[in-house]
Amino acid sequence: MSVGTSPHATVIAAEGPAEVAVGAEFVLKVLVSCPAGCDLSGIAIEVMAPDNATATVDPPAPLSPTPPSPACGGGQGSGTGEAREEAADIAAARRVPLKAPIQVGEHVWCLSCGAHKSSDWHHGAGLLRVPVRIRPHETSLAVWAIPSPVVTGRPFAIKVGAKSAAGFDLTGMPIAVCDGAGAVLASGVLGDGPWPGTTALYWTELTLTAPAKAGMFSWSVEFAAVDLALPHQGSSSRFSIAIVDPPEHRLTVKVVAQETAAPIENAQVRLGAYRAATGGSGLAELMVPKGAYDLNIWKSGYHAPTTSIVIDADLAVEIAITPTPEENPDAAWQM
Amino acid sequence: MDKHATDRGRAASGKVSRRVFLSTGAAGVTLVGTAQEAMPQGAAQRNWDRSADVVVVGAGVAGLPAAVTARDHGASVIVVDENYDIGGRGILSGGRVHLGGGHALQQKAGIKDSADQVFADWTRHDTPDARYSDRDLVRVFADENVPTFNFLVENGVKFNERPIGPERASTVPRTFVTVEWPIPSQLIAPGRGRNGSGLVRQLEVAARQKGAEILLQHEMKSIVREPGRAGKVLGITASHDGKIINIEARKGVIIATGGHTGNVNFRRIFDPRLTEEYQQACMPYVHQGADGELAAMEIGASLWATANQTAEAGAAITKTRHVGCRWGYATLVYQPESPMFHLAKATGLTVADWQDVIFINQAGRRFWNEADGSYKFFAAAMAYSGEPSKLNGGGPIWAIFDADAAAREKWSPKPPHVDPDGFFFSADTIAELASKIRNPHQKQPISGAVLQETVNRYNGFVAAGIDQDFKKPNPMYKIETPPFYAAWSTPILHDTLTGLRTTPSAEVVDIHGEVIPGLYCAGESQGGFAQHGLARCLVFGRVAGRHAAKRTA
Repeated sequence: MSVGTSPHATVIAAEGPAEVAVGAEFVLKVLVSCPAGCDLSGIAIEVMAPDNATATVDPPAPLSPTPPSPACGGGQGSGTGEAREEAADIAAARRVPLKAPIQVGEHVWCLSCGAHKSSDWHHGAGLLRVPVRIRPHETSLAVWAIPSPVVTGRPFAIKVGAKSAAGFDLTGMPIAVCDGAGAVLASGVLGDGPWPGTTALYWTELTLTAPAKAGMFSWSVEFAAVDLALPHQGSSSRFSIAIVDPPEHRLTVKVVAQETAAPIENAQVRLGAYRAATGGSGLAELMVPKGAYDLNIWKSGYHAPTTSIVIDADLAVEIAITPTPEENPDAAWQM
Repeated sequence: MDKHATDRGRAASGKVSRRVFLSTGAAGVTLVGTAQEAMPQGAAQRNWDRSADVVVVGAGVAGLPAAVTARDHGASVIVVDENYDIGGRGILSGGRVHLGGGHALQQKAGIKDSADQVFADWTRHDTPDARYSDRDLVRVFADENVPTFNFLVENGVKFNERPIGPERASTVPRTFVTVEWPIPSQLIAPGRGRNGSGLVRQLEVAARQKGAEILLQHEMKSIVREPGRAGKVLGITASHDGKIINIEARKGVIIATGGHTGNVNFRRIFDPRLTEEYQQACMPYVHQGADGELAAMEIGASLWATANQTAEAGAAITKTRHVGCRWGYATLVYQPESPMFHLAKATGLTVADWQDVIFINQAGRRFWNEADGSYKFFAAAMAYSGEPSKLNGGGPIWAIFDADAAAREKWSPKPPHVDPDGFFFSADTIAELASKIRNPHQKQPISGAVLQETVNRYNGFVAAGIDQDFKKPNPMYKIETPPFYAAWSTPILHDTLTGLRTTPSAEVVDIHGEVIPGLYCAGESQGGFAQHGLARCLVFGRVAGRHAAKRTA
């Protein structure tokens, strides 16, 4: 095969993320090809980063077995099938590890190679500009230990935490709770250690005061964008809280087994937003305002009826619950 | 009941199986083609590598009694099974044998029953378990209940004497449980009450003692039949150790391959929703690949009573009981001492109280009351979730819970209890958890904002005491205390409830309504009677073995 006089093109293609967090490492998959099908797997690529630093990416190690070189030049050897081309592409692909800059915004990496002779044919230079949007690291939030319900006008505490997606220490960062209109209800700074069991959830406890009116309220935790060693996005997370009127009467609920009348421990007692669990004697107490309620009992493995009650004075009720068949179809037989 | 990757080292997951198939099965495919070209169906000059009167395909709950019965009637028997060991799904079952009719243990327990009562119960119109039954099959089933129970006892199967029931369509207690096989090294799921081991291991002993030859790691590839609609079945081809062997069946071939639940393409004939994300119960030990059905249909066999498959009765679809692992079927847990554990990878976290989790679909949204386990739950789980690249099937279902739930359930959310390789994730926040959920069946990442809103909304229901979306009774616990977890909870498919059409003698019938001479079917590959469990497999295994043995060669 003779060297041609009209050079072929060198086409550089890249596949990678459109968006990357600041400072994060990412990979571009780069393919170098010739429209005429020449084997360019041996061509080195130069990579120029946004800060103008350059690096050379060597050809990938050949796969075994190496796919046959496609016929090249003059339209000869057009028998290269699709599978063969795909194999050649895979062989020519290279993974280029890169690192995002710490400045937010669009940045461009330039991939290039000079003119070269491959497969006995002259090839022109190739160039590809790869824009990547660099964004701040994400943050996310958690809100927990919210008492439920809370009596109108009473102070109460909740725990709030923030997490950097990159695991940054957020100690001392401000965090706030806002109402539905955006007014700040409480604020503080994150403490100096992650919540037990988490990798990097920095947290603090905030004290709030319940609204003067009963109802369900939707508030939010707000964490503002911050610049640590790397920029971070802010985040917001809603949570719900049940506010109730002050209690007036004591409801005593005793939960027993239907057949034996034995007290049932750790049954969950629900009266709307009010809740309690039975103790060893099967008793639970709730302080509630006057009103009509549905009394519900929940104990795994039992069925309990819903009981409608009206509270206009202290009241004691006994609820009998019945075991339900075990869901496990084989559990009826125990060896 | 025989399907499985052929040795302990081979993964039986669909993905891995495909790799295995592509790398090692290609030669097999070529060989099959070569054999068929060299020896057309019905060629009298076929060179048989092995020969017996009766060839049974599958060494499970249908195949083993077929083999024993055929030997009892004087036939020589070869049993082939592609697995490395016998038992099929029966060895992983609870050993609950639903046979009645007034047998000795029923009498001892004071239970009055009869064959007619069995027939009446299992042809009831008022329960979908029985409504679509082929009553010719049920009549035989009923009449063979007591003889089958006696057969088991005579062949050494031991039962506990405590009756269970009435179950499903039955009106009197009929279920008695076999005693677990006493040799731990011969169990697949030790320590979990898998008493079906005592059934199939004892039948294996009986079969071998009576002279049946069991060829393990022999995968049936095709049924050999003479040409023409009246052509009789001559034998099978099977692959073993990369080679194809031809096995002659002078009297009959009995398909006892255990059903089609694990074959995605086949099961979607009946229900297009059952796409690839739904795992099959008893994997990775045993795969219900529809091999028997497909081989029989390739020579003209018909399906039968297909309404049973979608009658929304029984255990065709089950709620995952052990979350955070791939195979969390209700009664089956592979403990670390199981020979399957290296494939199962995790025991799962057994859910005692569905109040402790919420279920989300692949879009990150709740879809139903988590405490429900009815077919309404499954319909919602398999509903279109808005993913345009996934129109059929509902995609993965994930159980979302927090540190408080783990404490209440006394879970240790780490290996070996969970499989972090795509089936269990943890994170410090809900939004971060969403970003971590990655699984081949999860078509798109779950939006952190969507999952956060899902959890916030549910927590609001807990605070108010009412689930306004799905009426979960008394939503009890918020999901709020870090860390947070996502555990694979996609429904699992269990019973095959339809299959090949047969006569009451278990002879396979073709698409023209004519018997295919010499071909039988029993067990979950047989259509017409969809009772859950072991009994129908045992009964029709015996019926097939007896009829085949009595055929004129």
